[in-house]
Amino acid sequence: MSELRRAQKSLETVRRAKEMLGTFYRRQERRREGAPLAWCMAGVSSELLYAFDLPWEWPENFGTLCAAKQVATRFCEQAEADGFSQDLCSYLRNNVGYVSRAVELGATPPEAPSGGMGTPTMLLGSGSLCDPRIKWFQALSSTYLPIPVFHVDPMSPPHDVDPRDPRIAAHYIALLRETVCDLVAFLERQTGRRLDLGRLRAALANAQEMIALLWEIQELRRAVPCPMGSEDFFTGAVVPLLFMLGEREATEYFRCLRDEVRDRVARGVGVIPDERYRFLWMGLPPWYNLGFFNAVGELGAVFPIETVYYVGAPVEIDLSDPLEALVERSWKRATWIHDWGAEVIPENCSPSGFSAPGTRLIRQWVKDYRLDGAVMHRTRSCRAVSWGQVHIKNQLAEEGVPSLIFESDMADPRSWSQSVIMGQVRGFLGAVEASKREAARA
Amino acid sequence: MALTGLARARALYEARDDRARELKAQGKRIVGYLCYFAPPEILEAAGLVPYRIRGDIRERVTDADQYVEPYGCPFVRNTFDQAVKGRYDFLDGVVMAHSCDSVQRMYGIWTHYRPAAFTHMVNVPHTVTPASERFFHRELGFFKERVEAFAGARIADRALEASIDLYNRTRELVWDLYQLRKSNPPLISGAEMLEVLIAGGGLPAAEFEELLREVTAEVTSRRDGPGAKRARLLFYGCINDDVTLIRLIEETSAHVVMDDTCIGARSFLGRVTNGGDPLAGFVRYYFTGFQCPRTYRGTDRSRFDYLIHAARQFQAQGVVLYMLSFCDPHKLDLVDVRRYLEDAGLPSLVLEDDYTLTNLESMRTRIQAFVEMVA
Repeated sequence: MSELRRAQKSLETVRRAKEMLGTFYRRQERRREGAPLAWCMAGVSSELLYAFDLPWEWPENFGTLCAAKQVATRFCEQAEADGFSQDLCSYLRNNVGYVSRAVELGATPPEAPSGGMGTPTMLLGSGSLCDPRIKWFQALSSTYLPIPVFHVDPMSPPHDVDPRDPRIAAHYIALLRETVCDLVAFLERQTGRRLDLGRLRAALANAQEMIALLWEIQELRRAVPCPMGSEDFFTGAVVPLLFMLGEREATEYFRCLRDEVRDRVARGVGVIPDERYRFLWMGLPPWYNLGFFNAVGELGAVFPIETVYYVGAPVEIDLSDPLEALVERSWKRATWIHDWGAEVIPENCSPSGFSAPGTRLIRQWVKDYRLDGAVMHRTRSCRAVSWGQVHIKNQLAEEGVPSLIFESDMADPRSWSQSVIMGQVRGFLGAVEASKREAARA
Repeated sequence: MALTGLARARALYEARDDRARELKAQGKRIVGYLCYFAPPEILEAAGLVPYRIRGDIRERVTDADQYVEPYGCPFVRNTFDQAVKGRYDFLDGVVMAHSCDSVQRMYGIWTHYRPAAFTHMVNVPHTVTPASERFFHRELGFFKERVEAFAGARIADRALEASIDLYNRTRELVWDLYQLRKSNPPLISGAEMLEVLIAGGGLPAAEFEELLREVTAEVTSRRDGPGAKRARLLFYGCINDDVTLIRLIEETSAHVVMDDTCIGARSFLGRVTNGGDPLAGFVRYYFTGFQCPRTYRGTDRSRFDYLIHAARQFQAQGVVLYMLSFCDPHKLDLVDVRRYLEDAGLPSLVLEDDYTLTNLESMRTRIQAFVEMVA
């Protein structure tokens, strides 16, 4: 296990994330005895939960935390012993194993990081992104936690259907609107409170500002040398984007991050001292070994952009009717993503704040981010994110852009092999170097 | 002499796509589909020939690896591999549905690398709610419009009703054959039944109806049906479009008397309501009532009541749970279904496979032990 290490963060703001995002990192303080607590998945609008003043926690995030703290294996094995296949999502196995163990002990498992998760009173799932996320809470509720479950379930058009056709738009927006309204009705029943439209409007306004700031950061990352690499993106941007969208604290955090990145660009400061290669990162990161990015950085490579948790361009929304604004934002973002090639992206219409970029956008990134290639993490237990990498590799190859695909997993460290993976990376860098030299000679 | 009944079914099963190729040569347009969420009745009503795309468990996946990852539904990868190798070059169209992540993503890859004159994906929500039922209804309306555009003519209401009637007749005939599996020994084996159903997937519905009538006539009068065996089993799980495994179970002295798979009871039992709004009938049959684990149906294990009921109806003593690698929807139901069966006093055996059946001998040993236990 000594080969697994935490990321060395480059940006000061990221280093201060825990202190600046106290609402998230001190979430235990938000729990109230006997009061409602939701466990939810990315795909559920955190702005809505904020509007209900409903505390929420994220099993997916807890999976990444357990992986980072090197306890995911314990929970994954527990889930497997309960009959959940090793093929299944390691976030899911981690969460199921954690709950199974908590039920067995009648208490929070002592090895759980950050005091474990609070005991939920409801499960809010989502049909976005993948199949396991629609089945996860079903399995959890039927086996361990018999509490109410609700899923938001919007759909997005296939790649060959035009979302700008008014009939198509009306078709998809109707489902989106209805599923959001159904969620509101569910939350009203569960909390005994009416939706506070004023709070929702304020949260959406914060979210708009935050998405614009994150977009600005992503644009600034085009600079050479690269001011922010994947190690800082994954350790510093994912939590506020996925789990705090709409909270003022997160918006202010992103403003601070934007300022620092902007300052670095102005001063020509990069993540690594001698930037020789710039790569696209595709796939989920190995959360138990984010130090991998530093290890690759030591070889002269930086990752200025990632395909996961991609925020996309900000879209205009009318906040006068905040519920309708949430629908409008989700649909406009789905449409924007669709415009850039959607043949291998998952369900993409989601009331949360991120997406997966399409093929044409990735091809465009090669120019915009001056990429030398792509490194793709094929995660055995997450087919939803991995599926399509071979196609993207083929697409990039048409542009003469090389790619490396290596295999392990996002939250199950048993699949990591440092020597094999670093050997593959070194070989890839050698090939990229040779082709750069050849290009320079030509 | 032309083959009839079970012999014809076996020949069609073995020859896979011969009949579709013949029809193509006669000028018919053939549209392949991967899942029943895209109702074949609509294709048939437009004068097209629906063809259920099959994998080939005997064919190793090779060429598909250039375009798609190794981790993913091995059945879907296998079908695409055959498309890449040109085995489906007789198809004029390909229709898929968002039945699972693998198919949803495969649609984009398939249509990119193997474009066809007509391609369409039917989107399917993951939850059954009034909103999702309305969405699926509209989605089927768009599907019907696209089919009409490809066929070059509007589908008349009468044609759609006739197609629904035809498919309902085939379902009734299939159910009649299933009834013949209730006796002990059953009059038709599990392997024979599956051969008939798979053969039907490659035929126009009228020819399938004729085949079913021949098989029924033959089976009801046969004297050489399956002999006595030690146990009666229900076969549940992932798609199974090859009879090898069912034959193996039956060789180990157990009858497969009932199933819950998509080329089986899940798709052929029941009927589409005809008259009034045909799309509403499809929504009820192919979405609301279609017991595919990819659809969320609440957390109560009583969602598997239908399975217990089927096992009791057919006097199954145990259940084989067939799981393909990387099938998230089925594998996420597995814990619940096993416990529910156990509570109902029905032992179960999990058989895992990667759609190659390379571990057939180890399966044989495990099936034998299971039969010993339940007999």
